[in-house]
Amino acid sequence: MTGTRTYALAAAAIAAIAAVLVAASVASGTAPKRHVTPKVSGTISIISEATGPEQEHFKNVLADFEKLNPDVEVKYTSAGRNLTTILSTAVAGGNPPDMALLPQPGFMRELVKKKALKPIEFLRPTIKKNWSAGWVALGSVGGKLYGLYLKGANKSTIWYNVKLFKKAGVKTPKTFNALLKAAKTLKASGTKAYSIGGGDGWTLTDLFENIYLRQAGGSNYDKLSAHKIKWTSPTVKAALQQMAKIFSDDSNIAGGTSGALSTVFADSVTQAFGNNPKAAMVLEADFVEGVITGSTNAKPKTDFNYFPWPAIKPGTLNNVVAGGDAVVMFRDKPATRALMKYFATPRAANVYAKQGGFSSPNKLVKGSAYHDPIARRAALALSHAKVVRFDMSDLQPAAFGGTPGQGMWKLLQDLLKNPKNVNQIASQLESAAAKAYSGGK
Amino acid sequence: MSGASVSAEPPLREAPPPDVPAGESRWRRWLIAAAFLAPAVILLGIWVVYPAIRTIIRSFFNAAGDHFVWFANFEELFTTDLLLTAIKNNALWVAIVPLFVTSIGLIFAVLTERVRWSVAFKTVVFMPMAISLLAAGVIWRLMYIQDPNQGTVNAAIAAVKGVVEPEGALPTAEPSSPQLVGNPGSTLTLKTPLDPGQVAVLGLSAIPDADVPEGAKQAVKPPAKPDGITGVVWRDFKPGGGKIGKVEKGELGLPGVTLELKDSSGKQIATATSAADGTFAFERLAQGSYTVAISGDTFAQPFAGVDWLGDQLITPAIMIAYIWVWAGFAMVVIAAGLAAIPRDVLEAARTDGASEWQTFIRVTVPLLAPILSVVFITLVINVLKVFDIVLSVAPSSSQDDANVIALAMWRVSFSGQNDFGVGSAIATFLFLLVLPVLALNIRRFRREV
Amino acid sequence: MAVAEAGVRVAPQVVEESVARKILRVLAKAPVHLLLVFIGVLWLIPTIGLFLTSLMSPADISAGGWWQIFSKPSIATLESYRALWENESLRTALLTTLEITVGATVLPIVIAALAAYAFAWLDFPGRDWLFIIVIGLLVVPLQMALIPIFSFYNAVGLFDTVLGLILFHTAFGLPFAIFLLRNFFIGIPKDLLESARIDGASEFRIFTRLILPLGLPAIASLAIFQFLWTWNDLLVALTFGRDVRPITVAILSQLSEFGSSIEIIAPASFISLILPLAVFFAFQRYFVQGLLAGSVK
Repeated sequence: MTGTRTYALAAAAIAAIAAVLVAASVASGTAPKRHVTPKVSGTISIISEATGPEQEHFKNVLADFEKLNPDVEVKYTSAGRNLTTILSTAVAGGNPPDMALLPQPGFMRELVKKKALKPIEFLRPTIKKNWSAGWVALGSVGGKLYGLYLKGANKSTIWYNVKLFKKAGVKTPKTFNALLKAAKTLKASGTKAYSIGGGDGWTLTDLFENIYLRQAGGSNYDKLSAHKIKWTSPTVKAALQQMAKIFSDDSNIAGGTSGALSTVFADSVTQAFGNNPKAAMVLEADFVEGVITGSTNAKPKTDFNYFPWPAIKPGTLNNVVAGGDAVVMFRDKPATRALMKYFATPRAANVYAKQGGFSSPNKLVKGSAYHDPIARRAALALSHAKVVRFDMSDLQPAAFGGTPGQGMWKLLQDLLKNPKNVNQIASQLESAAAKAYSGGK
Repeated sequence: MSGASVSAEPPLREAPPPDVPAGESRWRRWLIAAAFLAPAVILLGIWVVYPAIRTIIRSFFNAAGDHFVWFANFEELFTTDLLLTAIKNNALWVAIVPLFVTSIGLIFAVLTERVRWSVAFKTVVFMPMAISLLAAGVIWRLMYIQDPNQGTVNAAIAAVKGVVEPEGALPTAEPSSPQLVGNPGSTLTLKTPLDPGQVAVLGLSAIPDADVPEGAKQAVKPPAKPDGITGVVWRDFKPGGGKIGKVEKGELGLPGVTLELKDSSGKQIATATSAADGTFAFERLAQGSYTVAISGDTFAQPFAGVDWLGDQLITPAIMIAYIWVWAGFAMVVIAAGLAAIPRDVLEAARTDGASEWQTFIRVTVPLLAPILSVVFITLVINVLKVFDIVLSVAPSSSQDDANVIALAMWRVSFSGQNDFGVGSAIATFLFLLVLPVLALNIRRFRREV
Repeated sequence: MAVAEAGVRVAPQVVEESVARKILRVLAKAPVHLLLVFIGVLWLIPTIGLFLTSLMSPADISAGGWWQIFSKPSIATLESYRALWENESLRTALLTTLEITVGATVLPIVIAALAAYAFAWLDFPGRDWLFIIVIGLLVVPLQMALIPIFSFYNAVGLFDTVLGLILFHTAFGLPFAIFLLRNFFIGIPKDLLESARIDGASEFRIFTRLILPLGLPAIASLAIFQFLWTWNDLLVALTFGRDVRPITVAILSQLSEFGSSIEIIAPASFISLILPLAVFFAFQRYFVQGLLAGSVK
């Protein structure tokens, strides 16, 4: 008798406990959901061009995201200047990373054509609100949004060594002719004027674009960007001639033209602002500042500063050639969506901006976010410019505008080598462009 | 092992058939053999044999792989500039490098033969074989930097040149006005001739502070002397540029500069040296017109450095690096061959009255012939496939000029273009080039069986 | 005289060399010695230059060459190595290289030894033809497999994996390994195998207990060779890897990126060559043996 009873009691107890547990779980399941965003987890692989100090800055932004989403791990790979080739090969092999930062809208378009990218329409309301129409258009292909412009760059800046300018008694020029004259005076004072990173062809394309925008105007710039006018047209040749004026001043370039051809971008910056400066000016974008602060001891205002790219036609002083990095997704999963959403917040831009060498096209980012007055000035010039055009070489198909050793990058290196060959290089540019636009082979 | 492939010299005997215990079935023997061979056969089949066949087939299709295009890819190989350069370069590599490496190896082997500490020497020379061709490339990339202050090779040349042609005091100086004429790096002459009683004004610019000679003082335009020509040579620059041609406050004279005086027939008759304030004087001159010039060795250019990494010299530069790596291999193998030569053959030659040189040429070298050919052929194969060292030594602006077949294949297939059709064609072409050696190896083996 | 005429060699008279003659002999050799020392120094300079460059700070590097250290020894610093050590991606690269290399050394040896034994001591139909194929494969360039294997790896998920790289290296290391080991195994005395077989030992037992131990010298040579070859590889890792990066790829990407960063490349390159050099020095004999085995009769 007792045995059965004990069993019965035990059974009842167990049943009761079970009932309570079930009830509890049901209850918690149907409990009203508080505003807790579901925990995102997983790994994300992301690739960009950044190396050196820039890489560290970007990784800090990723680390901030990981702080907000502790179950997500973000793996960063640096592609250096081989980003387009690495991604092309990865897509061809069927194994791209989850996300990437693309500096070239032209390349983004190619990837969309290959059906490699996933649209980011879920961010449309945010992007439309906080990015100007130009940036929205740049990030769209066929009306659908694919790219979020996390990073912008003001490419119409010229960075100069303040002490060398002072010694030469040179004032920052406001016109192109004044720039050439300043270069002459700098040479007379005993220093070379230009530090050119010709080993990286893209620095030469930036020079071309700044000249072309100021000389041929915005509408010609757009036409040339879409290959609606040829590279052999007179406006192009005129711009190439201006470049040749700088390039043929061989004794005014650090290392001469042959030295410039084997100098990469970062070295062209350190050699102008390092301990034994070899030249006084670097004609490159606002991210030069990141390299200066990361690799030299130069101090802002006393050692380095920038002036806006001088005007060629009257009134073109504040025209801006802009660059930018768009974040794109190769895979649409909760983790990548979360990171994409994060990049659209002003918080991400602030983390980035605090470190310098970064401009955000996000309208919500205030001037106070920027690292220093110099960076702020460049960023505001970017967002307030009346005439803005995106970097032309980045708008081209990658084979023409974005690949080391090919197309614009290579042919402008050839111009640096032989500044007299304007006509020949113009026709070579035209045939390379034609080939790229017709789809390659 | 294809990268460091050696051409095969199989031993004389073939594998002897083992004695099989009575009762072993043939089937069982085969099964056992299969068990031993299976992993190798599977790996080789999947990773080497099948892909090789597929590559050959693939080379007849277009980039996307969906359209049969006959020999179009091969045609592209022979008509594209970039690829033709690669073929041309490889031809140069094959013609030059194996010969150099083998010869240097032979010379080293002979030199070290009777030296007691030859092991240490051989180790030193052989060491580069142990490091990656990439690291070797990095080493030489740094050595070839054009700036003689950074690149070892140019620094060495500069040191030698510095003894023969020392650098001038003001190598970067240029005339500040068109009054002074001359070619860069040589004498600068004042255009207008002067008579006694006039003052020569020689302004120079583009002089960095570091070049201004010690003890330079404020420049002064000297008064004229009736029976001589006076003058001043100074740094005609002040912040903002200043007035060209006029000696102004803040502008420094250039002491220690040699001035030359030429008479109306062009003959140099006197020299003078400038003082701390840049002034100088030629005195007691007869009537007539004279020209004043700044001596050319003031402007002697420093050695600018040979542009090893430029498109003209890049291929020879890489070849030198490659020879540095592989000479040790040739030396070690040839030295082993030398050691294997029986002493009595050499003794016999010597007692027959042959000199050292004759013994070497008539006896040693012929005996070494098989070894020399093995070294040579090994190098030919490796040179045909050269890749890493070209990628690491050549900067991007010279990559096209340094292009070689293996690099071209990689670039076409995996570096942006992603054209697997042409890539396969290039690989097949490379295979065809090494095919003769394959046939040779097989023939040798079968001859000995 | 009669003895000499009979063709018997007469022992030459041993004469004590005078000091003067000794000195003369050394002097006669002196030019050769000097030449060899000169050449030796010349051969060492590039590597020494790299090492000294790795000891300079970035500012000093752009100011001048490594020979500055001789006049200003104080500028030598280990800063670059410290920064390298803290650089996670380069640390990972070294580790990855080790993983790949060890795998691609052990695996081919095992597989090749098995196959080589079959070729040397097992009789089966088609043995000679199969071996001829192996000899043929010795010369097939890597390039012939890159494209198909690239597609294959992407399809089966071996792309960008250490295993994928190990397998590729193993496969292409097999022809030489089989060739080398087979030639060595043949040299093992037939009677040893005979007696083992008569004793009833299975082929596998003969392989593990007899052949492998006797074949150790050849295996050691092979191991060194394969180790160095894999450690120093660039092409294979470049094609089949992306995030998986051995040290060669890591150095190359530093070389071709935004900044040439000599202060990173020099110490990284030097570290990447220390291990192979150490292996080389420790096992020089085997390494050279391996080289010769393939080249000399």
